[in-house]
Amino acid sequence: METSIPKASTVLKTLLRADFTTQWRNRRAVILTLIVPVIILATWKPLVGKLGGPFVLSNSITIGLIAIGLMGYSNAIARDRDKGIFQRLRVAPISSWSIMTSRLLVQIAMILMVTTAVFIVGNSYDQVTLTPAGYAVTYLSALIGGALYLGLGQMIVGRIQNPETVNSTVRLVYFLFIMGGMLGQFYNNAEFQNAVKWSPYGTVKTILAFGMEPEKWNNDASMALLVTIAYTVVCAVLGIKWFKWNTK
Amino acid sequence: MTADNILTVDGLSVSYGKFNAVQNVSFSVRKGEIFGLLGPNGAGKTSTLSSIEGLLKPQAGTIVVDGNDAITKPLHARASLGVQLQSTSFQPELFVIEVLQLYAGIYGVPASKSDLMATLKEINLEDSAMKKFGELSGGQQQRVSLVIATIHNPRLVLLDEPTTGLDPQSRRQLWERIEAIRERGHAVLLTTHSMEEAESVCDRIAIIDHGRVIAIDTPQAMIDKHKDEPEVIAVSRRGRITLEDVFIALTGKAIRS
Repeated sequence: METSIPKASTVLKTLLRADFTTQWRNRRAVILTLIVPVIILATWKPLVGKLGGPFVLSNSITIGLIAIGLMGYSNAIARDRDKGIFQRLRVAPISSWSIMTSRLLVQIAMILMVTTAVFIVGNSYDQVTLTPAGYAVTYLSALIGGALYLGLGQMIVGRIQNPETVNSTVRLVYFLFIMGGMLGQFYNNAEFQNAVKWSPYGTVKTILAFGMEPEKWNNDASMALLVTIAYTVVCAVLGIKWFKWNTK
Repeated sequence: MTADNILTVDGLSVSYGKFNAVQNVSFSVRKGEIFGLLGPNGAGKTSTLSSIEGLLKPQAGTIVVDGNDAITKPLHARASLGVQLQSTSFQPELFVIEVLQLYAGIYGVPASKSDLMATLKEINLEDSAMKKFGELSGGQQQRVSLVIATIHNPRLVLLDEPTTGLDPQSRRQLWERIEAIRERGHAVLLTTHSMEEAESVCDRIAIIDHGRVIAIDTPQAMIDKHKDEPEVIAVSRRGRITLEDVFIALTGKAIRS
């Protein structure tokens, strides 16, 4: 007699409740993810007049997305793997994809939350307002950009088993993104600026900035979108291929 | 597979690269039986259990759980299994009641909060419902883990060294709970290093060494069969042959890392 297995929708609903509860109880991590974009908005206010609102907001959101994908996602996956939480879930009659889907949906919620927070603070503090189309396309761009950094996080946690090493690595990569990506755009060297423009930082920042003013979308933006998607696919494929569900 | 068997493992082989962790292992667990898998460190117990649980894909052999092929229909096989891993951990941010809620949900058990509180009351942990799993003592954690392993009333419960690290009182309590699972007509497959546990709790045991099953029988029958062998007498202490003497004689005195 074939045993019945629970419905996929029931399983996903149950996992989501647990994963959202876990995320909510990690409020300190959530606040840390929000705080850096807000600091950028506050300190770069003088640049709004010189370089435009989309420039400042796109950098803020990009940094927030990097924090979610690297610090949030990677560290949580590495920790839970090390503790054997995934092992326990995998001996239940649920598919591996449902475990990861639930985790990713929580990160998608975080991406939307950070983007919304940047819009709210950008509007109230920096007086930056977008058109409805601008807000909509930016949310979409944030999801695409967020997927890149989630893929990068997956790659890191796929390659590195030890959670402390994952933690140090993602912090280093985050620092490199801030120094090389965010601050590097001001470095007065054309070659360096071009390298930043087509880096995983630059392409996401570009699609976000153009997303805020969709009427100005051009070939550069389309190319940045394609490169972002290419980066995402490479990172995700490698990350999934390298990933082991336990550390033993 | 006979109708009495809840688990049939036949010709199981598991390798990690060139290392053969499990070689042609065959055994079965009957309904309403507590079956022990004994072996030194690195003998292949956990690899065998991991294959049954679906965490490892074996290189050869078949595993049938309650009529479901665990390799071709892993989800159906796992639905009949309750599992307590050697080092079980749950999300540290969740309260005990929320962990129960999670696992009731993913095993498809419709349980309200009051149902789960009643379950905690049965194991004297209703006061710990709003504590985090990591805040419980070792014995309390084992009780919660066992409740979660049996929350969906599985036909077969797998316990990987369930009493490791427990004090004698907690260990005895856990044995009683394991026996209660058997009284409900379910089967238990447990791995253990403790000969006392094997003798006290298990109906039948299999000794596994270097990836192969070298003996299967009831604990007493195993002692009776080997008690007159010179190797067993040589390792015995104070003249009384125990299961541990038989085990050491069969697997050797060398310490395994």
